[in-house]
Amino acid sequence: MATLEVKDLHVSVKDEESKKEKEILKGINLSMKTGEIHAIMGPNGTGKSTLSQTIMGQPNYHVTQGDILLNGESIIDMPVDERARKGLFLAMQYPAEIQGVTNAEFLRAAINARRADDDQISVMDFIKKLDKNLKLLDMNESMTERYLNEGFSGGEKKRNEILQLLMIEPSFAILDEIDSGLDIDALKVVSKGVNSMRGDNFGSLIITHYQRLLNYIVPDTVHVMMDGRIVKTGGPDLAKKLEDEGYAGLRDELGLDIKLVDDED
Amino acid sequence: MTELKVEQQLVTASEENNEPQSLLDRRLEAYKLMDKLQLPKMQRFKFHDWPLIKNQPLKWVASDPQAVLEDEADHEVIKVVQFGQSTIQIALPKELQDAGVILTDIFTAAREHENLFNKFFMTAIKPEENLLTAYHLAYLNAGLFLYIPRNVQIEKPIEAELIQDNTQDEPLISHILVIADRGSKVKFIQHLTTVGENEEPANMMIELIAQDNSEIDFSSLDELGSHTHTYFKRRADIGRDAHVEWAVGLMNDGNTVGDMDSELLGEGGYANSKMIAVTTRQQEVGINNRVTNRGKHTTGLINQRGVILEGSELIFNGIGQIIHGAHGSKADQQNRVLIMSDQARGDANPILLIDENDVEAGHAASVGPVDPHQMYYLMSRGIPRKQAERMVIRGFLGAVLSAIPSKDVRNKLVTILERKLTDGQQYQ
Repeated sequence: MATLEVKDLHVSVKDEESKKEKEILKGINLSMKTGEIHAIMGPNGTGKSTLSQTIMGQPNYHVTQGDILLNGESIIDMPVDERARKGLFLAMQYPAEIQGVTNAEFLRAAINARRADDDQISVMDFIKKLDKNLKLLDMNESMTERYLNEGFSGGEKKRNEILQLLMIEPSFAILDEIDSGLDIDALKVVSKGVNSMRGDNFGSLIITHYQRLLNYIVPDTVHVMMDGRIVKTGGPDLAKKLEDEGYAGLRDELGLDIKLVDDED
Repeated sequence: MTELKVEQQLVTASEENNEPQSLLDRRLEAYKLMDKLQLPKMQRFKFHDWPLIKNQPLKWVASDPQAVLEDEADHEVIKVVQFGQSTIQIALPKELQDAGVILTDIFTAAREHENLFNKFFMTAIKPEENLLTAYHLAYLNAGLFLYIPRNVQIEKPIEAELIQDNTQDEPLISHILVIADRGSKVKFIQHLTTVGENEEPANMMIELIAQDNSEIDFSSLDELGSHTHTYFKRRADIGRDAHVEWAVGLMNDGNTVGDMDSELLGEGGYANSKMIAVTTRQQEVGINNRVTNRGKHTTGLINQRGVILEGSELIFNGIGQIIHGAHGSKADQQNRVLIMSDQARGDANPILLIDENDVEAGHAASVGPVDPHQMYYLMSRGIPRKQAERMVIRGFLGAVLSAIPSKDVRNKLVTILERKLTDGQQYQ
């Protein structure tokens, strides 16, 4: 069993325009184990993506206080590639496009980065695994010889993120708004992929704006984030309640003095 | 040596080589020009103190074919091998001979195809352009000649393996002349390497004569040694509706200055001049890549990508010129370099000279480090930084890699690239 703990995490990021550091996360606490699916919901601009990028190690986000522990070991000073090899994965909202590197080559490099030099995955094993996962995600084989994400549609990119997840098999996968821009069929396929990973050796943190995704990937725990903090934690019914009452309703119920980005003045 | 003595020496060498009088006369004329001419100029790049001219007589020296490791026969190409001044392998398939294709060393062409040779040799590149072009003609000591008759299309690429012999005390002054007659089509690949440790200049010129409706794909993998100072000049004269593609992988280990030139002479001509370069150590490389639209409705494209490692320097000048009267023409260029260390220096300068209104022109240039977003993405999948960097760079160079028609040469280029990048990364 693997564990991921976020303790009193404060994170700031430099504002592009004012060049000043701005605090986005203001003391996040979160603890999860493999075998569990957690969802983080929250209104726009509340720090959900900052949390996912900080856990992964995006260098623009600066931890000013607190810690992130993977299996009890602090990872905040580790470079992103090391965190990945230790078992973290982030399905990104905006995957990079890389010309000249094929999807297949990239996947092999990612798998082999986790394995010893004398234990690299064989071509046969790789192709078998790839075929199986392509089928599961209803993806065309030609995707693998295309350049990484280059010219992919929004939906293709999301599927490709999940394909990587299935190929790499991390302990913890953070899915950052994997549902954005997906039609219902694509959403079902993506959910099927994630659900196929469910088990004792896999945990996931699903970041989403809408409850809809959680109908397909049912979480064990739902956290609601507002203004850089987790303000409420509950079961799957919390997500449904939010869908009905909206974030403003919950805010008012909790008596929080927070302005939501989408609030109308 | 006095001037008279030098001339006498050129006469003797030319006779020894059984050259026709016409070539000797041109050598002597070129030699006389050398006094009056200057080294070529290049914006923002200094090379005038390099030893690009060897002050010694023209000599004929045979190189030992045993010293050159033979690759396994590649049946995908028609192969020509020249080691120093010696032609080691040249075999044109019978059906192409029957079709009238001529493939010989440059001096055989001067002797046996004198009219054709004289009509085109050094007409695209002219000896009077600068000191090094005059030197080239006066002291020419190697090269190849290819003629493709009207409407003949050669399917297999022709691959010329040119090996500079630096075990000898001789400069390499080499000329490739390709004449594609009307409606003909050819793919030509050259691979340049060096054997031996002597310090020698290489003066390498290529002329492509692409006549109306012809098509020439010219790829080059330049891999000359670290003890070689190189000047190269490659020019295509492009006729009506003719099509020329350049794909150059500049991987020399030594200092290099080069001119790429595409002259769009006839209406509807097309040139796409692609180059990638990787520089390492203390190497200095400067490139002018020029495309000139003279004919109406011509298209001239330049795409240059460079990676500058360690303490090296790389200058890419892209020069797109549209001459008055070239209505409806298009010129577009991209010049991009990646700077991989604090000591690396480089620049990408787009220069557009447009003398006509009714045209389309564009340019893009960038100088900077590898894309951090791409790096983050690859590393977030566990790929270590250096490997990720090499992948991003390979992607950055991808356009030229994929344009080379021989898989074998493409693989060679990727191998050299990996080696140079891995070496260069040690330095960071």
